Amino acid sequence: MLETADRPVSHDDNSAAPSGGSPIALNAINRWVPHNLVMRDSWFPVAHDYSVTGKPVRRAVYSHPIFLWRDNGVAVASEFHPNERITRDKSEFTNAQGRYPVMEHYGVVWVWFGNPLAADPRHLPSLPFLPPKGGLPRHMTATVRFESSAPISLENLIDLTHADFLHADVVGDERSDSETVETFYDSETVTMVRTCVNKSVAPVMKFFSGIKQPTQNVRQVIRIYLRSHCAIAYGRFSPGDDVPLFHPCTPETRDRTRMEMVMNTSNAGLMFRHVMPKAGYKVSRQDSYMTSPQSPRYMRHTDRKDLHSKFDQAGQRYRMAMMELADRQAKGDFDYRDNVSADCSDIIGLRKELFQF
Amino acid sequence: MSLDSDLWWAVARSEEVTSQKPLSVDIGDQPVVLWRDNQGIARALEDRCPHRRAPLSLGCIRDNGQIQCGYHGWSYDGETGRLKEIPNMKDQQKFPPIYKANAFAVTEQAGFVRVCLNPKAQAPLSADPKYTYVGTVNVSCSHQEYLNALYDDPSLILSVRGVRFSPYLMSELHEENGLLVMERNCQWHPLHWPSHFVAEFPLTLLTRTHPLTGETQLTLRDDQFNDLLHAVLSPVPSARGVTAVRWRAELGVRHPGVRGAVLRGINPLSVHASIDGSKLRATKPTVSLHGEDLRKAMLETKPATHDQTVAA
Repeated sequence: MLETADRPVSHDDNSAAPSGGSPIALNAINRWVPHNLVMRDSWFPVAHDYSVTGKPVRRAVYSHPIFLWRDNGVAVASEFHPNERITRDKSEFTNAQGRYPVMEHYGVVWVWFGNPLAADPRHLPSLPFLPPKGGLPRHMTATVRFESSAPISLENLIDLTHADFLHADVVGDERSDSETVETFYDSETVTMVRTCVNKSVAPVMKFFSGIKQPTQNVRQVIRIYLRSHCAIAYGRFSPGDDVPLFHPCTPETRDRTRMEMVMNTSNAGLMFRHVMPKAGYKVSRQDSYMTSPQSPRYMRHTDRKDLHSKFDQAGQRYRMAMMELADRQAKGDFDYRDNVSADCSDIIGLRKELFQF
Repeated sequence: MSLDSDLWWAVARSEEVTSQKPLSVDIGDQPVVLWRDNQGIARALEDRCPHRRAPLSLGCIRDNGQIQCGYHGWSYDGETGRLKEIPNMKDQQKFPPIYKANAFAVTEQAGFVRVCLNPKAQAPLSADPKYTYVGTVNVSCSHQEYLNALYDDPSLILSVRGVRFSPYLMSELHEENGLLVMERNCQWHPLHWPSHFVAEFPLTLLTRTHPLTGETQLTLRDDQFNDLLHAVLSPVPSARGVTAVRWRAELGVRHPGVRGAVLRGINPLSVHASIDGSKLRATKPTVSLHGEDLRKAMLETKPATHDQTVAA
């Protein structure tokens, strides 16, 4: 069930937000140690489909080795390299042959990390802007790494106000006539909708999409699938283009993140279609500039509380939801209470007519 | 860093210990003198003559294998530390048992001379691999900081010819068979894409570290699981906060092409004699931050012994 996040974010004395929330929620937010959160029983995106060939390539989820290759065209995910002299025990996350459950969808290879018997395609996140069988041009894909934990990278993503400062040269500055942030969540997802009226035009659109007006209306949606650490970042710009991005943050280790991004710019003009996916290289380094020094500071619990503003509501909900899920998993409850594979087009406001497959 | 347990420290490379000249080393604040007796056996005594506290390492090794203090010529037996001769007392050459220097247990394994401060400690068993490349450096950095630098950014303390260490880990620091194990992605140097945009890394550096001594085995391997280089790095806490590092390395399978040839050039491994302070200061404590917690947790559940020596 999807709920509106109407929980006042804090009654922390340090907070600029109005008070009235639950003290349990407040305390939980201040116990945020993302480094210690390990999610399982989930599909993790580990490779673009074209990266997996007959020659094994190596990936990891929470330091657990994953070797991927194709056997008669079918993707195989193994805990052991075919040439490896095996000196370690098989983990609980693979079958008797040391194989992880694996599937290909949306042009991405997904590996199930958790109880192999619980692997089910129904738990694959819904990404309605990507062709189910893949096939987008490679220039719309990239691999990017972050020197930070995956939850830190995702909290950075769902806090879009940082973009006005850190990425102003790509997506525009903070000036707008009005700005609202709404948050929705269920037990498996957190969705943030940011609406800006008459916001400064994103420079990348000014230069490569030919936008002449000084301002544009912007609706940006960030939807995070908690277990798999995957996010959708969908921007609708008017005037301008629709830019849906698949932004997974796969935790290769608890402090390093891998992103196999896919940006579907098929509907944009020729220049923008090719240039915008490349912006990920610049934007990711700008993010990493802040998140990599930030990450070690969240490795241990501290009594000193973070400060918050009203725009941090989504980030706070993300912290809460992750901790609730981690708490549930720590108690041995790995069930899905909400369906992550249900079409989320309406939730993210996808203009379906642009993304017919 | 506990020094009073039954730990075996690789304080010297075998070839550094001779019967020609005593070698002065430290284990923490304990000065130790090493030499070989007339049977070629490595011996270790406290580097302090019990007579007037002069360093025995300033003396000499006699033909009978005893070490002789350079101050008054008192001679000591390497195995027991017992005083054997005072040159001015030729008529009395029997001395009470308390006339002795503290002797330490010594063993030689895998090209290293290992010393344990407990003279009754049992030497661990070890394989005896051959290593072609060797070196010794004394780094002005504490033992723990040295290990932290290794965990957080190995380029601070060592270089592998033609290889660049990336900040991305294939496996974070974890416990495996009583050792602290991690694996770091690497690239060929100097031509490579920026590591943060790389989909596949061609190399990894696997490190296996003893939780107490910090002795570390390094294995560089390619993406087909071929071992290209093996090395053992043995940092020993020494006087004045210095860390004495002895290392040995051996090439493994030949990697094809120019890159493999570059790796097999002169001395594929270099261990730095100093650490760049500005680089060290700016290095974020990521792996090391939890390394200490992990080490403590490991030792609480199962105290480390030298049976888990990384050179084994």
